[in-house]
Amino acid sequence: MNTFALLEYSAWGLSILLGLWMLVDMFRTDRSYSEDLLTSSREGEIEDASAVDPPQKRGAR
Amino acid sequence: MTAETSPANGERISLLRVLGPGHVWALGVGIVLVGEYMGWNFAVGKGGAIAALIACWFAGLLYTCVAMIDSEVTSTVAAAGGQYAQAKHIVGPLMAFNVGLYLVFAYTMLEAANAITLGHLVQTVGAMAGFENTNDKPFIVLTIMFLAWLNYRGVYTTLTFSLVITAFAFVSICVLFFAVQPWSDVYIKHDQLLTGLPYGWLGVLAALHFGMWFYLGIEGTTQAAEEVRSPARALPLGTMTGIITLLIAATMTWYICSGLMPWEYLGQSVTPLFDAARLTNSTLLMVLLFIGTIFSALASANCCINDASRAWFSMGRDHYLPQVFGAVHPKYRTPYRSIVFLVPVALVFAYFAPLDRVITFSILSGLLEYTFMAFSVILFRRKWPLGTIKRGYVHPFHPLPAVMLLVLCAATYFAVFLGYGTQLIAMMVFYIVASLWFALHRYKYVRRGEQFAMPWPKPVGY
Amino acid sequence: MAKAPYRPPVQSQIGQIFDTLFLLALVLASLFAPLYLGLAGSGKTTVELSDTSWAGMKQNATMQAQWEKLGYTDGTEAKDGRQPASKLIATRFDYDFSFVELAASALVVIAYFFIVFYWSKKEYREVIDERFGNSE
Repeated sequence: MNTFALLEYSAWGLSILLGLWMLVDMFRTDRSYSEDLLTSSREGEIEDASAVDPPQKRGAR
Repeated sequence: MTAETSPANGERISLLRVLGPGHVWALGVGIVLVGEYMGWNFAVGKGGAIAALIACWFAGLLYTCVAMIDSEVTSTVAAAGGQYAQAKHIVGPLMAFNVGLYLVFAYTMLEAANAITLGHLVQTVGAMAGFENTNDKPFIVLTIMFLAWLNYRGVYTTLTFSLVITAFAFVSICVLFFAVQPWSDVYIKHDQLLTGLPYGWLGVLAALHFGMWFYLGIEGTTQAAEEVRSPARALPLGTMTGIITLLIAATMTWYICSGLMPWEYLGQSVTPLFDAARLTNSTLLMVLLFIGTIFSALASANCCINDASRAWFSMGRDHYLPQVFGAVHPKYRTPYRSIVFLVPVALVFAYFAPLDRVITFSILSGLLEYTFMAFSVILFRRKWPLGTIKRGYVHPFHPLPAVMLLVLCAATYFAVFLGYGTQLIAMMVFYIVASLWFALHRYKYVRRGEQFAMPWPKPVGY
Repeated sequence: MAKAPYRPPVQSQIGQIFDTLFLLALVLASLFAPLYLGLAGSGKTTVELSDTSWAGMKQNATMQAQWEKLGYTDGTEAKDGRQPASKLIATRFDYDFSFVELAASALVVIAYFFIVFYWSKKEYREVIDERFGNSE
């Protein structure tokens, strides 16, 4: 096992971590908010007035 | 955690409007600049160095038309999805579905190609450092995962990252250009190295195929329409400065490389600008151009994820695709499901498909899109003549750019046909089957009147 | 005569997943099919070089210097870790094509665009009618 092999393994490890992070966050988001709110974006809203920041149910991570 | 937040009194989430013209420039140039670091030089292989220069300028003309047309239409149709939303408002649903697919596949394939290149570069460095049995796959996968993660976390960071590394890659080309002293013949020896047209004028035509690589993707700026602070100003500004940057970079790149390498080598080189730096004997330049190559590939893949996911997202939002893809992340305000869904697609192509096939898939999708744009702008001017709606930018000499674009597209189809004819047909079969599927099955889930979202008057002639 | 607006059916979760998978399968098929059917070829050929010295390959002194700097050698065999340049120089494109194939390809592209535009126009009329009312 040389340095490059170590690099390769860390690349694999990091990839898996990032992938898992996205999947976990996606599932948590899907469960915390209603589907209607998540898909409420509409095309052509040049005025930003009707769009709001939804209340944050989860603490910042 | 368990209680659901429901939309009360019309609460909505939309993408976040935070970007300025600089980000638009980065999105346009970032996706393309990698083309100067590799890929364009296959045009040299297809027709010789002079043919590549002619192709570079003809393709530049094609893309100037694209940028002008795009700027006008998009300064009025300011919606994520870019050309997809334009097609929906100007031509009709089936065309829009096809355009959406062109966009997603052109960008996802380009992303795969960039990841392959990056993996290859890291592997090469490993081999040069004396390691045995080096493997490029982990780095291909890491590139895609990291950039998808960055995109997932928010558009501002993503495109600021792109802005920085794209600017670095562009400056590297400028530094190399001045370092080879273009005013003298110390390094640059065009009089010795240029050999005329090895394939005659047919070679010039064939070179157009890869001449497109100098600029492919610049039209992606429109994907940011729902995320820039003032779309009517920032989009035309970012797109036009982008195409000017690319024209300059392309000409400099050609000048450096064709003055340093015999065309037979240049036409088959993997990383031409890096090779040019090697020929100057300067370690500093070599390091600079190596980092430039890495950065340009990263920036391109990054912008590709951004553009492809916006197009996929807006199709999901209109139910052209399953509506789950129309979701926006409540905290990061990104189309997170589209981003995640496109990760395995990019991975499959980067892992299993050969590079030139991936590139040709990307080029062909782009070409179909430009053909559509030429027709679309003519229809746009006919259905909404000047003065009927407010345009942020009006392109000059209409319909000359549209006609020119069409002629150049026809020439490029022929160029792709020379050598990649079977793939052209395979692609057409794909889009025909997908169209049938949409027209006969998918379209029944789409709301009819509501998908026309722009506050425009009724089109002339309806 | 204002028609009632079209109400699309709501697609089930399983339907959504199925539609997504169908598109994916279609993309993979179109990318890999030409490869597996052996139809893929980039039109490259190798010409026979009778003389593989630098001069015989029509390379002048400047070209020779650059080839050597890039790590290539003349002749047909690798020398001192340098690859032979003749392999790159002998690779050429073959631009012979049949007009029948060209005409067929052109026809496919033109027919595709014609049908897509025609069909879109039909659907577009429906969209405009619903959006702006069919009063005229």
